[in-house]
Amino acid sequence: MDILLVAIDNAFSTDVILYTALGIFLGVTIGAIPGLSGDIGIALLLPFVYKIAPACSLGMMIGIYKGSMFGGSITAISFGIPGTAAAAATVEDGYKAKLNGHPQQALLTALYSSVTGDIFSDIVLIFLAVPMARIALNFGPVEFFALYIFALMLITLLTRGKAVKGLASGVIGLIIGACGMDPMLGTPRLNFGIKQLRGGVSLIPLLVGIFAISELIMQFSKDWYNVVIKKAEEINQQGTFSKYNANEDKMSLKIFFSTLKATMIGAVTGTSIGALPGAGSSLAAYVSYGLARRFSKHPEKFGHGSLEGVAAPEAGNNATCGATFIPLFAFGIPGSGIAAIFGAALIMLGITPGPTMLSENTLIIFTLFVTLIYANFINLGISRILLPLYARVSMLKTRYLVPAVFAIALLGTYASRNSVIDIWVLLIAGILGAVLRKNGFPLGPLVLGYIIGPGMERALRQALIIGGEDRFFLFKSSIAIGLYVATIIFLVLVNIIFRKKTDKNL
Amino acid sequence: MKKSIILFLIFIMVLSISIFAFTEKAGAEFPKAKAIRLIIPFGAGGGSDIASRVLASVAPEFVDQRIDVICMPGAGGQEAINFVMQQPADGYTLLMTDYGPFIMTALTEEVNYEFADWTPVFQIAEAVPTFFVHADSPLKSVEDWVKAAKAAPGSLTIAPGRYLSTPHLPLILFENLAGIEQKHVITTGGSEARAFVLGKKVDLGASFPSTLGPLIKSGDFRALGVCSEERVAALPDVPTMKELGYDVVLPAWMVLFAYKGVPEENIKFLGEKFTEALNTVSAKALASKANVVLTPNTGEQLEHLYNQTIKNLKDILASVEK
Repeated sequence: MDILLVAIDNAFSTDVILYTALGIFLGVTIGAIPGLSGDIGIALLLPFVYKIAPACSLGMMIGIYKGSMFGGSITAISFGIPGTAAAAATVEDGYKAKLNGHPQQALLTALYSSVTGDIFSDIVLIFLAVPMARIALNFGPVEFFALYIFALMLITLLTRGKAVKGLASGVIGLIIGACGMDPMLGTPRLNFGIKQLRGGVSLIPLLVGIFAISELIMQFSKDWYNVVIKKAEEINQQGTFSKYNANEDKMSLKIFFSTLKATMIGAVTGTSIGALPGAGSSLAAYVSYGLARRFSKHPEKFGHGSLEGVAAPEAGNNATCGATFIPLFAFGIPGSGIAAIFGAALIMLGITPGPTMLSENTLIIFTLFVTLIYANFINLGISRILLPLYARVSMLKTRYLVPAVFAIALLGTYASRNSVIDIWVLLIAGILGAVLRKNGFPLGPLVLGYIIGPGMERALRQALIIGGEDRFFLFKSSIAIGLYVATIIFLVLVNIIFRKKTDKNL
Repeated sequence: MKKSIILFLIFIMVLSISIFAFTEKAGAEFPKAKAIRLIIPFGAGGGSDIASRVLASVAPEFVDQRIDVICMPGAGGQEAINFVMQQPADGYTLLMTDYGPFIMTALTEEVNYEFADWTPVFQIAEAVPTFFVHADSPLKSVEDWVKAAKAAPGSLTIAPGRYLSTPHLPLILFENLAGIEQKHVITTGGSEARAFVLGKKVDLGASFPSTLGPLIKSGDFRALGVCSEERVAALPDVPTMKELGYDVVLPAWMVLFAYKGVPEENIKFLGEKFTEALNTVSAKALASKANVVLTPNTGEQLEHLYNQTIKNLKDILASVEK
């Protein structure tokens, strides 16, 4: 108990708080720049880990991680361009909410649900790491494959009645994800003879291109201008500076409580998926979005600016922040790139992550836990102050804003890997995105297909290797069967319910 | 008119100052001109990253220059390799790698370099591939393993990390020598391999003592054998494969390489200074904190190790292709 008190004392020392706050501020900014995300910021900090006091450097890295997870939603909501991959699901409803004149509500909802989801997963990490990790260990290739199938089904939930186009989009995503190399053997495939594509199509340029560049193309194409002139009466959709009414965009406790269910769904989903080694924050965000829609009282509002549709993915992605450390702290097995970087930082501080970590390094780990919790509140404070500013900025005229964001997006993408092929991918993805949007294909399924494709293929092949000649090996797991059954139930129920609701609206 | 001339002059001044600030000091003795860069073909946080950072934190005072560690995991490691090849051959940019993306990739597909183009400058560390099982496994030793594998060929599953990676190759060598076979469950790396063994999804695994240590200590894992000449300090009770009769000695080395054209004196200088740096008490303390096994090595000995490894890998690959 004494150690806990000393730890609290350490954690609340001025320099730790300052470093954490700095980390949060940097993280939110990095996250908001499309193309950059928290892992770059954290990787840059590694050399300084032994130069500053351990609690300070860990605090700063935690700040950057949490801040960037939320920061991605700022551009996602304001410009329809996810600042980080994890915010891709937030674009669905977030951007529509902004176009409807509610950027502040959307941004604040994103912030509050992010913080709530994050606190939830930090508490689970602190008190339930070992039991959760043991549960997560039950996920082998067979179970992961079933999970990915479940996630793919959720793609149809994102298609709003355009099931065929949604599936097509998802398949395009799967194909793009398959380019580069075979996930098991590393042999090059589908790289069109371009050596630089050997590592595959990179996530950042693809994402930024599909969302940002396509937006730019659409905004400046002749057709768009005609549409704009036609919709001159509905200027609310454009949201020029003068027409934005801040009074109609105020956040209130009532709104917060109305999205609470979606937030909690996101928190639980994000924590569970975050604890699985290998599953990522964007997967968590999309699954949270899909589940929130399924259990929402107003599923028809999703895709049209529903605040629940912002709360769920944001809670989901931030809930992976604490959960991603569960396998690392329990077994020393990093479940994500960021966990690996944190693991390296801990190792350089002389702390070996694993089952004996807590007992051998009680003080510093307790300090870390306390920092994890209060970092969320710092995030809340700093971002809350900056948000109204962002909300106003986002409502400036799109014809000035989008080129500026495009320039930042381009720089951010190049900065992340110093790779020229990324710029080509960015531009081609942009054209692809514009073509898809013009023809009514949803972009969400493409992103999800791209993200889970390689993992799904690897899980299937690993399962087949282990199963050998056993034809039914894929079904020999209660977790897998549970997931398949859930998939079928959701697929049937949601399509029926959704169709009923749209029929009603007709 | 006057205003614009003044502005122009200021601009020229700023431009020249920045040029001076960012250009290397020409004609300066090596390595005074600019920072030394170690380029790693893996993502941040991995074994090579940590080993490099140990060097990068103790060596600067010996070479009187800053050392930066840069991770470039793109294109399966080829991006880092190509980057170093394109830099001026002055010895300031070195490749820091194990033999995976550097040698294995070159042996299995087309790359734009030859082994003779690269000179090994310095070996920082070594990691010994270790075979392990879950503590509840009925396999208590390598002997049990061979017996079980021979009794039911292809029934056991083992997770050795990435395809043809540093733990996978000794496994192939061992299987050839022992005459056994099992199913190789390729994973995204050591972490996934350990997770599968821990979750009892596969029977065996292959990884490194630095990451296996905590789980062996806690009693979750049992190490069966290590693939080195002598027993590993971190695992004193684990026999070497050689002791057990199987000549499987294939430690994963982490070596700094210079591309062709770098002056020999520079290479020698770095080799000597780095060796000095890693023999200090502070280096050893840092390394043991970070679970890095320092094996400073340079010059002819290192060159020999390099060539020997290439030969070993060619042999192993030939057996895979059969």
